[in-house]
Amino acid sequence: MITAVHFRNFKALRSAAVRLEPFNLFIGPNGSGKTSLIQALLRLRTLSGLPVIHRHDVPDQKPGGPQIEFHFAAPFQNVRVTLGCNSDEFVCNLLVVDHPPGLPGEGQWAGLRTQLQGIRAFLFDHYAMAVPARRSDGAELSSNAGNLAAVLARRREQAPVAFRQLEEDFCRILPEFAGLDFRDAGDGRVELAARLAERKELVAADSLSQGTLYLLATLTLAHAPAPPTVVCLEEADRGVHPRMLREVRDALYRLSYPKDAGLERAPVQVVTTTHSPYLLDLFKEHPEEVVLASKSGNAATFMRLSERTDLLELMKEAHLGDLWYSGILGGIPGE
Amino acid sequence: MNIALLSESPADEAALRVLVGYVLGQGFNQISPSLRARGWPSVELVLPAILRHLHFNTNADGLVVVVDSDDSPVHTAEHEAPGYHHPYCRICRLRSVFRRTARNLPPARGRDRVLRAVGVCVPALEAWLLCGRDTSVTEAAWVAGQAAGRPPYTRRELKWRVYGTERPALPHELRRAVQEVSRHHGDVRRLENDFPQGFGALARDLRGWRKP
Repeated sequence: MITAVHFRNFKALRSAAVRLEPFNLFIGPNGSGKTSLIQALLRLRTLSGLPVIHRHDVPDQKPGGPQIEFHFAAPFQNVRVTLGCNSDEFVCNLLVVDHPPGLPGEGQWAGLRTQLQGIRAFLFDHYAMAVPARRSDGAELSSNAGNLAAVLARRREQAPVAFRQLEEDFCRILPEFAGLDFRDAGDGRVELAARLAERKELVAADSLSQGTLYLLATLTLAHAPAPPTVVCLEEADRGVHPRMLREVRDALYRLSYPKDAGLERAPVQVVTTTHSPYLLDLFKEHPEEVVLASKSGNAATFMRLSERTDLLELMKEAHLGDLWYSGILGGIPGE
Repeated sequence: MNIALLSESPADEAALRVLVGYVLGQGFNQISPSLRARGWPSVELVLPAILRHLHFNTNADGLVVVVDSDDSPVHTAEHEAPGYHHPYCRICRLRSVFRRTARNLPPARGRDRVLRAVGVCVPALEAWLLCGRDTSVTEAAWVAGQAAGRPPYTRRELKWRVYGTERPALPHELRRAVQEVSRHHGDVRRLENDFPQGFGALARDLRGWRKP
């Protein structure tokens, strides 16, 4: 849906642009703009829900101030959205929309605005996931997945087929479990538990491992009957054994390429980050899905890995993850 | 027999388990936990440690190693000449690692060494999976394409042909891999004919294990 984002003087992104694909894995050192991109997308969502400002109504802005410009895929390719930001605090409060004139243009913006309202970002928190959640909070997964129990309990009731598929996937990946269960925790709250395959015992969420909870949250997104339009997931590899990273990638691919999974819904654009060379290795056949964030001094830039003309030659000698770690691809911390 | 399998992915391992049984003509006990490498060149790097581990710590009779050739030179009959070693051929390189490592290991657990079987999928496992179903996919076609500078197919295309997508989910990949190799019903002659070096070398190594 979002085809490109151009940054000007926004934090470390002084003059940077990134083209976005249906699936995007961002790698790079800390402070290289990965999270800034996700913050920009969230700000876009928030401001697009407010009354719109058109180009001709824009108040005078400080020239050269922070600005983020978004471009979109068809049928919204003629709509351009710009975020104007306060240069001192990097707070972006000004959303300027350019769209074709008249009702057709208004209609395009209305359609795009609906899509933008579906942008979601996640940084899972296993402590939050482990505690019982209010049943009434189960409409959609929250940014830290703290309402995981409520979301899954509701899904089991309202979308049993989707829930069963998720449960099957979970038990296939972690065969020590035979299913998921829920217990009433009082005060309208529900507690999540996983059933052990051998002894049929229930393991409460607060006794499940960090990685198990992260994986379950990722699967909850991947199997959502009505997923967000854009999913931003920080540190997709966190807590997961290197051999199981393939499952994480597959779950995220399920969002971006639903047809490949036999699903009839619209693709979800995925923006995810990692510091794991092992996860990166899994993209050797799709380097166009990887974006390298680099930092030179205080300025950060983005580059698609597929733009490296010698990449195929380099990959004959070493793994993608090792190439990245070695530094020859860039995207490493300054020392 | 107790056999360890070292491959690049769970689907490779699942297919290999079937094929090794077909060549040996009998079931076998797979050494666990399963071994995995991240692909070339990790296989070559981790192989000495794996051999040492299997030799001293397990009752493995043999180790089967199968990797993808990617764009590396395909093993040929000339490479089989005594003392010959092609520096870029993956079969030659893996055999060399076996030789070097075994030389430094004293007998253990009642055997001199862990037996070796090495195969290379040209250019990837999916080519073996298509054997007999897609006659354009053979080692000869790949070698001719390499010589002409125009590979007859890419790894991505092979994935499409096998899985119907470039991004198969793991369960689908596993299912298709086992389905396709099971088409051979225990008879691997077609695989040996179409992939005489990459698969043929593996089969010859495995048959050598049965000799007294």
